[in-house]
Amino acid sequence: MKKFFSIRKVLTFCLFISIVFASYSAYYKIKHWGFDIKPDAASDVWVIDAHISFTPTGESIKVSLSTPNMGQEFKILNEDIVAKGYSITRNDKDKRIEMSSNAKKGRQNIYYRVTIYDNEDTRGKIWDDRKPKVTKPIFDNQQQEMVDEIIKASKNFEGNQVKKLITIFNNEPLDPTVSALLPVHITEKQRAEKIIDILAYMGISARLARGVRLEEGKKAAKADLMLEAHDGHKWRIYDLHTAQDGLPKNFVVFQRGGVSLLDVAGGVNSKIRFSVLKSVTPSIKMAGHRAKLSDFSDTFNFSIYNLPLLEQNTLKWLMIFPLGILITVLMRNVVGLKTMGTFTPMLIAMSLVKTGFIAGLICFGIIISIGLLIRTMLSRLNLLLVPRISAVVIFVILIMQYMTILGYQLDWEIASSAVFFPIIITAWIIERASIIWEEDGPLNATKEIVYSMITAIATYFVISNEYVRHITFAFNEINLVILFVVMLLGTYTGYRLTELKRFTPLARG
Amino acid sequence: MLDLFKNFTSPTILKSKGVLGMNARNYDIIGHNNKRRLYPLVDDKVQTKILATKACINTPDLIGIIEYQYQVKNFIKYIKNYPRFVIKPAHGSGGKGVLVIKQWSEEQFINASGRVLSFNDVYQHISNVLSGLYSLGGQYDVAVIEDMVNFSDVFNNFSYQGVPDVRIIVYKGYPAMSMMRLATAQSGGRANLHQGAVGVGIDIKTGKTLKAVMHNLPITHHPDTKADLMSLSVPFWREHLIIGAKAFEMTGLGYLGADIVLDKQKGPMMLELNARPGLAIQIANGRGLLNAVKNIEENYPKNLTAEERVDFILNK
Repeated sequence: MKKFFSIRKVLTFCLFISIVFASYSAYYKIKHWGFDIKPDAASDVWVIDAHISFTPTGESIKVSLSTPNMGQEFKILNEDIVAKGYSITRNDKDKRIEMSSNAKKGRQNIYYRVTIYDNEDTRGKIWDDRKPKVTKPIFDNQQQEMVDEIIKASKNFEGNQVKKLITIFNNEPLDPTVSALLPVHITEKQRAEKIIDILAYMGISARLARGVRLEEGKKAAKADLMLEAHDGHKWRIYDLHTAQDGLPKNFVVFQRGGVSLLDVAGGVNSKIRFSVLKSVTPSIKMAGHRAKLSDFSDTFNFSIYNLPLLEQNTLKWLMIFPLGILITVLMRNVVGLKTMGTFTPMLIAMSLVKTGFIAGLICFGIIISIGLLIRTMLSRLNLLLVPRISAVVIFVILIMQYMTILGYQLDWEIASSAVFFPIIITAWIIERASIIWEEDGPLNATKEIVYSMITAIATYFVISNEYVRHITFAFNEINLVILFVVMLLGTYTGYRLTELKRFTPLARG
Repeated sequence: MLDLFKNFTSPTILKSKGVLGMNARNYDIIGHNNKRRLYPLVDDKVQTKILATKACINTPDLIGIIEYQYQVKNFIKYIKNYPRFVIKPAHGSGGKGVLVIKQWSEEQFINASGRVLSFNDVYQHISNVLSGLYSLGGQYDVAVIEDMVNFSDVFNNFSYQGVPDVRIIVYKGYPAMSMMRLATAQSGGRANLHQGAVGVGIDIKTGKTLKAVMHNLPITHHPDTKADLMSLSVPFWREHLIIGAKAFEMTGLGYLGADIVLDKQKGPMMLELNARPGLAIQIANGRGLLNAVKNIEENYPKNLTAEERVDFILNK
């Protein structure tokens, strides 16, 4: 007995290892490849086009564009510059792209396209312990008074100083002092700069952040603005309208602080226009792009997710098999249902997935019934085994054919799902049912068919579940766990559920 | 839902009664006592017969073996000196495909239940046997023709139509449990318990009835013949046990079932052996097999001859 015990121990150990391995790889895939437990999880992918245009002055041209900060709030999948006749250099330190060329004629167009996806796990604040110097603005007396009054009035609002100040600048109706301070025609930027001035006056360092607010199909002539204020440890970002702090989900920062978004030397009337396009991509498809950007590309290249889509779909279908097999094992060795053929119920369940549940069951029922009728007639002919089962196979094919034709003519979609059932398996079910019918009576034949169908239906409900299919594919190491569970069940010597009923007379005595 | 569970018993109770479950039988008992390569010795009735003859175990006389389809039309050639005969598939199981002819002429064959068959019917039956219709796995098979057992009348009253046989479970050469299977009208003359045959648990020491069940329920009289099942006593019990015990040396199988019938003149005869005997015998005996197996494993002496083992059991 000691010997069996050690087999069980080894298998249990393997099971434990496989669980650890599967958990780790699930963690790895979620963390580094962006897989999701949910099957329909999607990542937003944004395409931002920046269109730069200017009129050359006749001197040599130098264009410098600030680009989104990589490795922070968003991750860049792809970057592309279309600038004909320009030599392009990348300044990684300042996150700027510089394009230069000799003098050119005519209006110049430069396109910068960046494809990014939201990288939420790194979304956060920008830590900067060096407290920036605050240069207090110089106000004349009148302005001084107004500013003091605004600060005083802002105390009535909620939040920290920065929030209070932004709120009072947006409050409706506008505070008379505020409107007096601001010129009549004021741009968004000028307004923001006024707030920065007042903050500086209060000793708070603040700066502008320019970027693009991601909205579907957006076409904007200007960059969007936000305000960043230093709180002593880090830069906090604020919305200039709502005073909400924290970076909104849909904002990509191109440039922050005093440096410009776009510098054009040798050109006038420079303009930058942004347009935004959003596309939703399933997380699992994004995984490849993400993995390639990360340090984990090698592991990804050797995973099934790097295969052509056709192979991936085939594998996705295969990956569900181990679970179906596990159910078969459970049904036979733990529950103790006697089914026709070991894996027949699983194969029926697979067909049901393709045909749809109700349609498949009706269709299967019809095929089996007609098949049994024909088989009864065949048994009178006393044919030899192989020719007889072959005849049944051909009959099954003919039944499927006529059901499909009939289904089409009568516009009855259910019938056309007939072709999805495995022909040979169906023929064997008919053959076996017929033999049991003859030898052990109709009751036993029906019993065995019913048990097979119970197993098939149970299997169907597990494998048709979208979650289950996603998990067995995306986290396919779980199949290793299933393998060891199945092997451990191979050493299960306990009673089967049906035996608890079968042996009741023995429990009484 | 609760009603449903009333019909179930708890695994702890079964365990305390020493009931052997299917999984434990396959894993602990068969998996560790019966080597795979030994299976053909009992799955093939021709091989079993040859081995039995060598081991001096009585079996019905072998009349002939039909291997090929072309031989089928000449089957009369084999049986012409035998007034009664049995045709069975060499790889059959559970009595499938067994045709018993108790009387025949060139044109007419009368089977066990008295039905008259034509030459063509018998011809067709042998063909079916060869095509593997009744065989394990459905592979091609051969038909074994053997002499019909001249059944003793001792059990005449106890069985409806079919022939009563004794099944002995032998563990490591020691008979561990036994039962008799009696056909009923409901079982259609067959000896399968799940079809409604009566199972009579036979005391391994005395050869007398312990308990009788039909469809899992205890009974005292045969439903058709009304014979008192409690009075059943198997004659030549020691000889029965010796056949079972010898089967261990003969096949090397640590766990086997021996099916034995009683012939009027020749005494107990081995019909067939089974490497995976079923568990219904526990219900017929009203006790679990596991206790008996454990007892043999722990307390019974090893390295005895078949006769010594049987005597050890009888004198215990």
